[in-house]
Amino acid sequence: MTNTFIMRAAREIRKHHLAYLFIAVPVVSSIVFLLIPMLTSLWWSFNDYSGLQPAKFIGLQNYIKLLTDDTIFLHALRNTTLFVLMGMSIGPTLGLITAIMLNQNIRLRTIFRTAYFLPVMTSMVVVATVWMMLYNQNGLFNTVLTNLGLGTVGWLSDPKWTLVSIVLASIWQGFGFETVVYLAALQDIPKELYEAAMIDGASAWQRFWTVTLPGLRSVVLFVYVYGIIGSYQVFDQVFVMTSGGPVYSSTSIVYYLYTRFQNLRLGYSSAIAYILFVILVLFSYLQMRLSRERE
Amino acid sequence: MLKKRITLLMLVTLLAGAILSACGGAPAGGGKTTITVWDYYGEATPVKPLIEGFQQENPDIEIKYEALDWDTTLEKLNVVLSGGTPPDVVTVDMTWIPKFASLGAFSDLKPLSGSQLNGVPWDQAYTPGALEAITFNDQIIAALYDFDVYALYYRADLFEQKGIQVPTNWDELLAAAQQLAESDKYLYEFDADTFHGSQWIYENGGTLLNADNTEAAFNSAEAVQAIEFNKSLLDAGVAINWTTDQGERIQGVKDGRVAMFSDGPYYMGIMKSAAPEMTGMWRVAVHPYSKGPGSYLGGTGLAIPSGAKHQEAAWKFVEYAMRVENQIGVYTYAGAAPALKAALESPDVNVADPYFGNQQAFAVFLEATNTAHHFPYVRVWSDIDEIFTNAMQEIALGQKTVQQALDDAATSVNEALSQ
Amino acid sequence: MITRRKTSLLLQRGTLYLALVVSSILMIVPFYWAVITSLKLEGFVYSNPPQWWPNPLTFFHYVEITTKLSFLRYFSNSLFVAGSITLAHVFFDTLAAYAFAKLRFPGRDRIFFIMLLGLMVPFQVNLIPMYRIMSSLRWLDTYAALIVPQLTSIFGIFLMRQYIQSIPDELLDAARIDGCNEFNVFRRVILPLAIPGIATLVIFIFMGAWSDFLWPRLVTSSNNMFTLQVGLAQLQMKNTSNITQIMAGTVTTALPMILVYLLMQRRFIEGITAGAVKG
Repeated sequence: MTNTFIMRAAREIRKHHLAYLFIAVPVVSSIVFLLIPMLTSLWWSFNDYSGLQPAKFIGLQNYIKLLTDDTIFLHALRNTTLFVLMGMSIGPTLGLITAIMLNQNIRLRTIFRTAYFLPVMTSMVVVATVWMMLYNQNGLFNTVLTNLGLGTVGWLSDPKWTLVSIVLASIWQGFGFETVVYLAALQDIPKELYEAAMIDGASAWQRFWTVTLPGLRSVVLFVYVYGIIGSYQVFDQVFVMTSGGPVYSSTSIVYYLYTRFQNLRLGYSSAIAYILFVILVLFSYLQMRLSRERE
Repeated sequence: MLKKRITLLMLVTLLAGAILSACGGAPAGGGKTTITVWDYYGEATPVKPLIEGFQQENPDIEIKYEALDWDTTLEKLNVVLSGGTPPDVVTVDMTWIPKFASLGAFSDLKPLSGSQLNGVPWDQAYTPGALEAITFNDQIIAALYDFDVYALYYRADLFEQKGIQVPTNWDELLAAAQQLAESDKYLYEFDADTFHGSQWIYENGGTLLNADNTEAAFNSAEAVQAIEFNKSLLDAGVAINWTTDQGERIQGVKDGRVAMFSDGPYYMGIMKSAAPEMTGMWRVAVHPYSKGPGSYLGGTGLAIPSGAKHQEAAWKFVEYAMRVENQIGVYTYAGAAPALKAALESPDVNVADPYFGNQQAFAVFLEATNTAHHFPYVRVWSDIDEIFTNAMQEIALGQKTVQQALDDAATSVNEALSQ
Repeated sequence: MITRRKTSLLLQRGTLYLALVVSSILMIVPFYWAVITSLKLEGFVYSNPPQWWPNPLTFFHYVEITTKLSFLRYFSNSLFVAGSITLAHVFFDTLAAYAFAKLRFPGRDRIFFIMLLGLMVPFQVNLIPMYRIMSSLRWLDTYAALIVPQLTSIFGIFLMRQYIQSIPDELLDAARIDGCNEFNVFRRVILPLAIPGIATLVIFIFMGAWSDFLWPRLVTSSNNMFTLQVGLAQLQMKNTSNITQIMAGTVTTALPMILVYLLMQRRFIEGITAGAVKG
C-alpha cells in the first residue's frame, strides 16, 4: 500500500519537478526561518529558561503570570492599545482629509503629495532620532511654546505626555501612506455618481457621506486592519526615544518583550510574543470576516 | 539581452555575497590562536593600546578587537552567552555581575591564573573591597580593571565667586545649592536611579537589602529619610531632575544648568575631552553625607565567558592588561581609576590634575572606595534595580511619597527575592 | 449673483491652497530642522530664539562621521545588504509566484495557504531562536546572517502572484508549443511582462531592508558590519556624541531612500495603490 503511495508521490514529483524546484527556496526558507523558530519559542513559553542554564518546564505559569500578576505587562497592553487607538483614529483621518484636498483639481499636486509622503520613506530610527531632538527640553517645540507664552512640556519626561509624543512622531511618519492610498481610491470613484448626487441637490457634506465614503469601503478596511496590526508591534520609537519610561508610561508590548529578554527570561518573553500573536490573529480574522461580509 | 544581463547581475551579486559572507567569519590561518576581545570603553579606551605590545610578546596569539558601547555590549552578552559564540575577553560592568555570575556565565579565574595575578596572590593585588567585589560563590569571576565610585563634582569657580564653602554634610549641601542656584542655572543634578539613590541611603547608614540578601531594606527609616532629603533639593528648586529629554549631561555641564553632580572618576575623562574650555573651573570632593560617607562601588572587570573557546590565551591577555604599567594606562588613556593596588599607589596616577585646578582629584575617589558598597549579588538584581529605579522616578515625578514609593518597591522586591 | 459665486469659489480655492501649503510646510519642518542642525555649530543648536538658518554654516560634522566614525562603511553595508536581499527577492519570489499562479501541481493551493498564514506571525516570536540558528551556523556577524534569512518572503510571492495571474495563458502556451521548458517560459514571457510588479516589489523590499533595525543590531557586533540604522542608533547612545553629529548621521541615513523616492515617485505610488486598492 505505502509502496504504491511512495511510487505515486515520486512519479508526481518527477512529473512536476520544475514546479517544486521553483518553490523550493521559499518553502525551505519558511520551514527553517519561520516554522522551526516558531515551534522553538512556543516550547520556551512553557518553560522557565534563562538561556544559560537548562530549561525548566512550568506549563502555563508564564501565561498566567502575565495575564493576572504582572502590572508592567498590563501597562504595556494598555499603552499599546492606547497607542493604536490614538494613532488609528488620527492617522487615517488625516490621510483622508489630505487625500480629499489633493483630489480637488489643483496644481503642484505632486509637490504636496511628496511633503506628506516623504516621512514614510524614512526609517523609524531616523524619525525617532529627529523627534527626540525636537522634544528636547530646550528643543524647537519647547522654545516655540515658551515664545508663545505657553511654558514648556516634558515631552519625554512627563508620564502624561510620553505616549502622546510617540504617537505624534508615528503619525507624522505614517499618515502619508494613507493619503496616497485614499487618493488613488478617490480617483477611482466615477464622476457620474457625484454629478447625479449634485443634480439631486445634495450638499457637499451629503455627497461625502453617500458617494465618497461608500466608494472607499474596500480601502478603508485594508487601511485600518493593516494599520492596527502594524501599530500593535510598535518598538523602534520606544527603544530610541523613551526606553519605555518614565515609570513605564510608554512601554509597549514588544518593548517589554525585549526587556524580559535582556533580563535573561527567554521563556517569559516567548509567552509575551505568543500573546501578541493571538491578538494579531484575532484582528486578521476580523478582517477576513468583515471583507467576506462585504462580498 | 537586458533580461540576460539582469539575470547575470543577480547571480553574480548573490555569489559575491556568498563568498563575502564566508570570508566574514573565516578563522585566522596557520597555527595562531585568535581571541576575540570586546571593549566598551569607546574612544578613550585603555584596552586597544595594549594589543600591539601583547601581540609582540605573544606571536602565537592574534587579537580580534571589537569596539562596542556599553549598551550594545550588554545586549550582545545577553544574546551571546545564551547561545552564541561568546568573546574570549569582554569588559563587563560590575553591576552586570550578579545576573551573569549567578548563571555561571563567567569562568573562575582562580584555576586559570594559578591563584596569582602577575606573580602576586589575588588578595595582595587588590584592596579587600575590590577583591570582595569580584568574588562570587568563592570564585573569582572577573579581574577588576577600573573601579567606579561616586564623588561630588562642583563648580569651584562659582563657589569662590559667591563665597561658598565646600559642603561636607547634607545641610551644608542644601545651603550651598541655594546660594549657587540662579533660577534654572547652576543647579545640583538629581538622578532618579539606583546608583545615586543608593549613595544617599548609604550616607545615612542604610542599606539596599538586609544582611543575608533575603529582604529589601531600602524602605527603612534611615533610607526613607535619606531619599526624602534628596527629594527636598528638587522641591527647594535648587536641583534639576536629569531626564532623558534633557539631553546629555555634558551639555548641562557646558551650558551651566548643572553646577554640582555626583559621578565616578571616568567622568573626569569625559569632561576633559568634551568640555576642554572649562579647564580649572571644576573640582571634586567627597560627596556630603549625613552619618558617614557612602557610595556604590562598581567599575569595569575583564571577564572570560565560560563558553569562550580559548581560555588560556584569554587569560594571558587579561593578565597582561593587569600589569602595573598597563593599569596606569587606565588613568592616562581613559581618565578612569585603575583597580590594581600597586597602580593606585603609583605617583603616575596620583598626579595634580590641571583640569581640576591642580587638585589631586584621583585621591578623592580613592578615599571614597573605603566606604563604598557594591550592589548585592543576587540573581534577580536586574529586577531589583528596575524596581528601585522606578520608585525613584515615581518620587521625582511626585506621584508617590517617598515612604509609599519605597514601601511598594520593597514589596515587589521581596516577591522577586522569594522566587 | 455671478460675482458672489465667483468670490465664494475663489475663497474656497484660496483656503484649500492655504491649507495645503501650511500643512506641507509643517510636515517638512522636522526634516528641515534636522538638516540645518547638522550644519550648525554645537552651541547654536538649542539657542533661544531658535536659529532658522545656520550661522556659521559648517560641513564639519559630515567630515567627522565619515572619517572618525565609519558612516561610509555603514552606508556600503546597507547598500550591499539591501541590494542583495532585493535581488534575491526578485528572483525567488517571482519564480515561486509563477509556479503558484500558472503551474499545476499537487498540493499547490494548500502549500500556498499555509505559507500565507506565516504573514500573521509577528517576527518577535522568532527572534531569539533565529539568532540561535545563526549562531550554530557560525553566521553571526557576517553578511550571511543579514541576507540569507531574508532571501524570500510570502509577501513578495503573494504580490507577484497577483501580477502574474493577469498574464494571459495563451502567451504561455504559445511559448511552450515553441519548445520552451518552464524555466524559459519564465524567463522569456513572465519576467518581461511582470516588470511593473517587479518594480513595485523592488521598492517595497529595498525600503524594508534599508530600514531594518532590530535584526541587524542583534546579529552583528563588529563595527565594520553595522548597517546605517544600527550605526545611527549607536551614535545616538554614546554619551559623548553631540546632537549635530547625530543629525549628520541621520541625514546620511535618510537621504538615500528619499532620493530613491524622488526619482521613482510614480512607480512607488502606483505600486502602493495597486497593492492596496486591488489587493
